[in-house]
Amino acid sequence: MKQLHKDKAREFLRNKDYARWHDETFWSVRSKRDAMASSLPEWETLREKASAIKRHTLTHLDEYLEQFTANAEKNGAIVHWAADAAEFNDIVLGILHEHGVHKLVKSKSMLTEECEMNPFLESKGIEVVETDLGERIIQLKGQKPSHIVMPAIHLNHDDVGELFEEKGISNRKGDHDPTYLTQQARISLRGEFLSADAGMTGANFAVASTGDVVVCTNEGNADMATSCPKLHIVAMGLEKIVPDYDSLAVFHRLLARCGTGQCSTTYTSHFRTARPGASPMHIILVDNGRSSWIGNPDHWESLKCIRCGACMNTCPVYRRSGGYSYSYFIPGPIGINLGMLRDPREHAGNVSACTQCMSCQTACPVKVDLGEQIYRWRQELGNIGKANPFKLALSDGMSLVFGHPGLYKAVTAPFRPFHTVFKHLEK
Amino acid sequence: MKTALFIPCYVDALCPEVGVASWKLLRHLGVDVEYPEKQTCCGQPMAVAGFEAKAKPLAMTFEEKFRGYDYVVAPSVSCAAFVREHYQHLLPPGHECEAAGRTMDIVTFLHDILKIDKPLGKFPYRVSLHNSCHGVRVLGLSSPSEQNIKPFNKMADLLSLVEGIEVVEPERKDECCGFGGMFTIEESAVSKRMGTDKLTRHIQTGAQYITGPDASCLMHLKRIAHGMGADIQFKHIVEILAAGL
Amino acid sequence: MSTREDILTRIRSSIKERYDMPALDDIDPINWEDPLQKFISTLESTGGRAVDAGQEDVNTVIRGLFPEAGSIASNLEEITIANINPDTVTDVRQMDGLDVGIVRGEVGVAENACVWVPQTMKEKAVCFICEHLVILLRRDNIVSNMHEAYRRISFSDYGFGTFISGPSKTADIAQVLVMGAQAARSVTVVIE
Repeated sequence: MKQLHKDKAREFLRNKDYARWHDETFWSVRSKRDAMASSLPEWETLREKASAIKRHTLTHLDEYLEQFTANAEKNGAIVHWAADAAEFNDIVLGILHEHGVHKLVKSKSMLTEECEMNPFLESKGIEVVETDLGERIIQLKGQKPSHIVMPAIHLNHDDVGELFEEKGISNRKGDHDPTYLTQQARISLRGEFLSADAGMTGANFAVASTGDVVVCTNEGNADMATSCPKLHIVAMGLEKIVPDYDSLAVFHRLLARCGTGQCSTTYTSHFRTARPGASPMHIILVDNGRSSWIGNPDHWESLKCIRCGACMNTCPVYRRSGGYSYSYFIPGPIGINLGMLRDPREHAGNVSACTQCMSCQTACPVKVDLGEQIYRWRQELGNIGKANPFKLALSDGMSLVFGHPGLYKAVTAPFRPFHTVFKHLEK
Repeated sequence: MKTALFIPCYVDALCPEVGVASWKLLRHLGVDVEYPEKQTCCGQPMAVAGFEAKAKPLAMTFEEKFRGYDYVVAPSVSCAAFVREHYQHLLPPGHECEAAGRTMDIVTFLHDILKIDKPLGKFPYRVSLHNSCHGVRVLGLSSPSEQNIKPFNKMADLLSLVEGIEVVEPERKDECCGFGGMFTIEESAVSKRMGTDKLTRHIQTGAQYITGPDASCLMHLKRIAHGMGADIQFKHIVEILAAGL
Repeated sequence: MSTREDILTRIRSSIKERYDMPALDDIDPINWEDPLQKFISTLESTGGRAVDAGQEDVNTVIRGLFPEAGSIASNLEEITIANINPDTVTDVRQMDGLDVGIVRGEVGVAENACVWVPQTMKEKAVCFICEHLVILLRRDNIVSNMHEAYRRISFSDYGFGTFISGPSKTADIAQVLVMGAQAARSVTVVIE
């Protein structure tokens, strides 16, 4: 086990001002989401439909993957299948070598984090440039994302300003105005887009009936990364498939509203084939555990997740402990569950980070039973030798006392409990 | 309508006044209520901590003890929620989940079954309502702030029958207080932070009392209030509903 | 066995129960009596702006909006003020620093100010690399919601299209909203 959430959380809370800012920042994102939810009378219907579409799609994933592949190939894309992270990384490297790529610009992808693609490619001499501003900041800082939608949320404008000065991105020393810093990053990244040999994107959705890969961003970085270089590689997990446009409309309406409280991301781009003069588009379908997780009766519904981040924004524990308190690269309620699917021994230390308040699953746009799943994971900790010994001892003691009414009576007697008081009440 | 009063372990031992108020209130309302003896615990604390097996014998005992009643009523939303949600799979296959299916928290019982609408007693104070998570998001005592459904609050409805009371809600009206059973022990730092934030928002309403449907949340907040020296008092909702009866 | 077959076999053996596809025609989505007005107000909330061309020539309208613009790119026949054609640029880099890009949108969506812009030019970069993007949109092509929009969009043979809703933006530094992150700093929808 890498770390225990409870210890990291305690550390996080030592900086009281920062902890308060973190809580309030994410609460405000949640409030924007709530405003969006209340603006649509059909909101709860949309959630119900989204959940049902995902259940259907995941339990027909074999059929939809074949349909998607056939349509994508018909569109002219080249589809690859990767069983795990290593195969994925090898496929990417193979494509890059084939095209003589030295520099890869990429938009945000939690899948490439999952597969630790960047360090792998860098070790093979490929320069990888993250282009989502938040991702770029943490890449330059040598860190990992602390949130799936707002990856650099743990840094303030001074942190970023100093970083940009150090890296030569900004030159007005001491000017840490976010607008100025964003403009400097724009200039720097523009150079990267125009000098890269290939662009990589993730996929928010992949449409089986048309072969479209759909990518949502606010910055337009996925579009810059695929409009400038002559090669586009898509990295996507198997679970990103949706059946058709009617289904996609449901998810589109929920994603940004839940994630950031916007009606839509600025760009929702549909990629079917490469642009003229560019090499064919490559789509890599990555399993890395997913095909087995579908068979987990207690936890398969975590695969419904569309990575909006609403569960972490609303989680009272995430807001007060920060992304780095969790051992898995995805924090919050969905991260607790996905981490346990990935490697329960490694990530068992996150399972305590839940009061069972159920806000996560009440906010989730696709109704993943996040809190209930955490309850079920807790039941399995004993089997893998990860039960908290103190809680176990306490539970043993409780079951002894509660299992024997006579003993219970003796133990509680000093408190003047209700069951003794009651005898006087009846009269 | 034969009704059993289920007084969960921690209410029995640590807040007997909540049991007394429940009893008095139900009797006042003419309910044919009994208090079966030798009750202990529903098993929730161990199960939520990850040791469901230890809750199984308690579920069996519960089924036996409360069989034959039309309703089993508890002044605790988290215990009622646990019995309703989990006994089905805790009891051996084929075992009928009879009592569990008839178990409910006292707010639901008063609001949905008895449908009380006559004036109760008097409680001339400003009261901040603590919407306990299991009440809101498992048992449906109020509309969750995450959802777009018609706003309702069964606790506020009941409290409106009390003379002189002014009911208010804190900002972030149904955010968790951070108790969470053994969460408060294992994740004590986060638990305390959450409780402090919650208590602060209750205090900011200017209320003299905090009330709610679950004594465990209230105990957690009370402990924090004590540590802070905060001048605010706590009453379980049944204590207010039974006030002056 | 290939990885593909391996994965598909594993999926088939994992699936316990196959769930049906839900009906989607009973969602009863929100509709506006005046989708155009809603579109305009939503667009403003995203940081974009709408300009009603009325009877005026769009070239005059756009020139009036960007009097200082030096470089203007478009391949639309009706646009006469363009001096760069995205169909004939030989290298995308030639469009770096482009002042104004003008493209045609096919469908506007009132609920979120998205405009469907299918690629109809050789270099789609024109939609993103410009400082200011102008999208021409016919007023009778505005629908209420995404359900309708997804039934109406179409692609050209270029095989790319994007919904654009206002200017490029980010709040990645300290949660401060900044327009013009990587792509167009401003988006103007000219309603025809």
